[in-house]
Amino acid sequence: MRIILSATLAASIALPAYAQTRPDQQRFRTLYKELVETNTSLSAGSCTLAASRMAAHLKAAGYPDADLHPFSVPDHPKEGGLVAILPGSDPKAKAILLLGHLDVVEARREDWTRDPFTLVEENGYFYGRGTADMKAQVAAWVDAMVRYKEEGFKPRRSIKMALTCGEETSTAFNGAGWLATHERALIDAEFALNEGGGGRLDANGKPLILTVQAAEKFPQNYQLEVTNPGGHSSRPTPNNAIYHLAGGLMKISSYRFPFMANDITRAYFGKMGPQVGGEMGAAMTAFSKGNLSAAEKLSTDPSYNAFLHTTCIPTLLSAGHANNALPQRADANINCRIFPGTSVEDVRAKLKELVGDPEIKVTVSDTRSEVPKGPQPLTPAIFKPVEALAAKMWPGVPVVPFMSAGATDGAFLTPAGIPTYGVSGMFGDPDGNGAHGLNERLRVKSVYDGRDFLYQVVKIYAQQK
Amino acid sequence: MRKYANAALAAMLVAMPFGPARAQALRPDQQAFRALYKELVETNTTLSAGDCTLAAQRMAAHLKDAGYPVRDLHIFTAPGHPKEGGVVAVLPGSDPKAKAILLLAHLDVVEAKREDWTRDPFKLVEEGGYFYGRGTADDKSLAAVWVDIMVHFKRDDIAHRRPLKLALTCGEETNGAFNGAKWLAANQRALIDAEFGLTEGGWGAMDEKGKRIALGINAGEKLSQNYQLEVTNPGGHSMRPVKDNAIYRLSAGLLKIGAYDFPILSTDASREYFSRMAPLTGGEMGAAMAEFSRAPQSGKPAAVLAGDPRYNAMMRTTCVATLINGGHATNALPQRVTANVNCRIFPGTTIEAVRGKLQELVGDSQIKITAQAARSEASKAPPLTDAVMKPIISEAAKRWPGVPVIPQLEIGATDASFMTPAGIPTYGFTAMFFEPDGSRLHGLNERIRANVLYEGRDYLTDLIKAYAQ
Repeated sequence: MRIILSATLAASIALPAYAQTRPDQQRFRTLYKELVETNTSLSAGSCTLAASRMAAHLKAAGYPDADLHPFSVPDHPKEGGLVAILPGSDPKAKAILLLGHLDVVEARREDWTRDPFTLVEENGYFYGRGTADMKAQVAAWVDAMVRYKEEGFKPRRSIKMALTCGEETSTAFNGAGWLATHERALIDAEFALNEGGGGRLDANGKPLILTVQAAEKFPQNYQLEVTNPGGHSSRPTPNNAIYHLAGGLMKISSYRFPFMANDITRAYFGKMGPQVGGEMGAAMTAFSKGNLSAAEKLSTDPSYNAFLHTTCIPTLLSAGHANNALPQRADANINCRIFPGTSVEDVRAKLKELVGDPEIKVTVSDTRSEVPKGPQPLTPAIFKPVEALAAKMWPGVPVVPFMSAGATDGAFLTPAGIPTYGVSGMFGDPDGNGAHGLNERLRVKSVYDGRDFLYQVVKIYAQQK
Repeated sequence: MRKYANAALAAMLVAMPFGPARAQALRPDQQAFRALYKELVETNTTLSAGDCTLAAQRMAAHLKDAGYPVRDLHIFTAPGHPKEGGVVAVLPGSDPKAKAILLLAHLDVVEAKREDWTRDPFKLVEEGGYFYGRGTADDKSLAAVWVDIMVHFKRDDIAHRRPLKLALTCGEETNGAFNGAKWLAANQRALIDAEFGLTEGGWGAMDEKGKRIALGINAGEKLSQNYQLEVTNPGGHSMRPVKDNAIYRLSAGLLKIGAYDFPILSTDASREYFSRMAPLTGGEMGAAMAEFSRAPQSGKPAAVLAGDPRYNAMMRTTCVATLINGGHATNALPQRVTANVNCRIFPGTTIEAVRGKLQELVGDSQIKITAQAARSEASKAPPLTDAVMKPIISEAAKRWPGVPVIPQLEIGATDASFMTPAGIPTYGFTAMFFEPDGSRLHGLNERIRANVLYEGRDYLTDLIKAYAQ
């Protein structure tokens, strides 16, 4: 997933080449490139291969086999992962867990400008599927684990790293869910750091804010299905499955779910207001003070809109069995992002009511995880280290609590008693960086700075009393 | 393909059950035919999972058993299409100067998904007086009858002055895939040379109770043309929906196409058809037919006729969405969405004119509309000569007195569109009757009445005997 903090128009500015790469960065770049170029899409890739490549780096750095736990289940040989442990010096201190997913969303070469599975550095960006979501952070985790070992770093707390598969697929095997159920002791930790937080740049590449994600919307797919006796297309009938479905979709398109707010979103917009300024900033400030009608203005920006209410959007469409036959079946997948506090069934009933057509069956597809209860507490122990380090690295950039519109594997670990927070230090562009879309990319500077940040912040957490 | 010549008295009656009693009453020759038909239906010949070549080999085996020498059996496949083969069989006539009759049928069938059907589409199921299965009507009923006739002539040494030629081909149901009839016309023209040919089309009309109303023969056909609608979009993460969504754009465009009716048109044949169907149909619909045949542009009768999908299709170009496909992941905004719109173009209207109309209707320049490869040229129907029509009419009068033979505009497309332009005038005529549901051709639970098939076989056997002499 990714965080998309934001508004404003994306200016197309060519960035200078990131010339001053340090030797340690060059080494990191090689690892990142290897990871991006290991296809880990469900259809054609292998997370197990990616996990074994990452394990090889750790082994080379000196991790004994006893501390490397590659895993895969028999039915999913290519959807494996890796747990690695750097033991802590204090047997009473609980571990911290670095969580990351290896898998990426599908990408079709013919749709992309460049090969999605080749790391291309161009105009100050790294291009490729997973460059942003989330192989930059995974590479930074592996790189940090390697460096800690090589440096002989002795953390007080154990540092555990879990790299998993299946985060991007809602019904395929999910490695984080599997670990939480089957290897709970192995990954036990006081808390986990994961994707979901990060920074937001303005259109000129200037950092605006850094977030710590402490809540997320719940992703849920719904299926719309119309069936019909079909027939020969030379003899169209008024009752057509595709037209029924299209009619229902148009009704969903014109509906807006009611605006909602919680502590995290109010705090987020409260800190964003002064940063953004202007009319939008004023609306944010108003929203943070409880003025829900200010959401109207905020919703004009797709990124902010996602934090304001449940959203539902069709993502897949399929109908028919031959070009010369009336369709017997028409299906659409509606992907909803449910605001905390709303139930899966509430949304289904609303969709059903909206389409207003008994011919359209609306069903809940497999549920990915438990519905989160709401925001988890963002304690000073979690928040302060990020704030302190950010003040050094990005002076003047506020750190704000954040609810992500996307879902992460935190949804599996938090309910299992390992509260999971999104912390990354990687700054993204206002346009969403093509995550899940075409030509995914992340600024070279964001990747390198984020790597430095994560390496240091984990050290701070690891030494915490 | 299909045709919907028929009339339509909406009776509320359920089809009469025939069932097992009927199966036992079959003559030995009908039992043998039923086994051949079953074998053909149960040989999957869809493009996705089937094999026309296998079906052709199986049909050729029957001909070989009947005594056809190998030199008269021509199994053919084109390079690159190993499973889309066919067979041509030749039975020489007694008169070396007489030109042949070509019996043409297609082996392939429209896709059928088991999970959508009540019964397995690739098992022949006889139930309640019907044969159920993909291809039971379109076009394995005719293909099996043609093979059976070829077997009968050879084995029983039936007198025939003219040669009989059988061509079973693949690809009639698929636009853009290999078409065997087209290939034969281009590459084996001499082998299939004939005075005239018969193929599917011109199905007869019967009411829901099984009463025969009229027998049709094609006099022109609409042109089948596919158009692709395509919307592309940068996509993105579905957690961050944006207003410009490819699925919504396509949906809006399709709804506009769905709401549009092309203008009313007529031909000599369609007016004659409605004029002759009027008294057989009666009631409000019959009156509308009569009025339409006199003044097709007056509007009011056309509106009544348009209430019946069969007649609607005989009065205008129709376009309907048949396939949609879009998106690449459940959690990503769609980057590409496409729809196939299948149009049946009225004679005299161009492919580009329809494309232009579709583009105008969707009113969205983001929806790219392209005409797919044309299946064939628009072709004119061959003249209905006495030599062709008289035996058809006299055989019908013998068996089904009072059931007229009516020329009609074929709303589907057939492989006649490849043969006729190649100089083998090919007529769409079977003696199979369909109910108002059109026998569910291309749809779910395709079926044909068992007695319609057996009696159609008897009719066609006698018709070919008459032609052959």
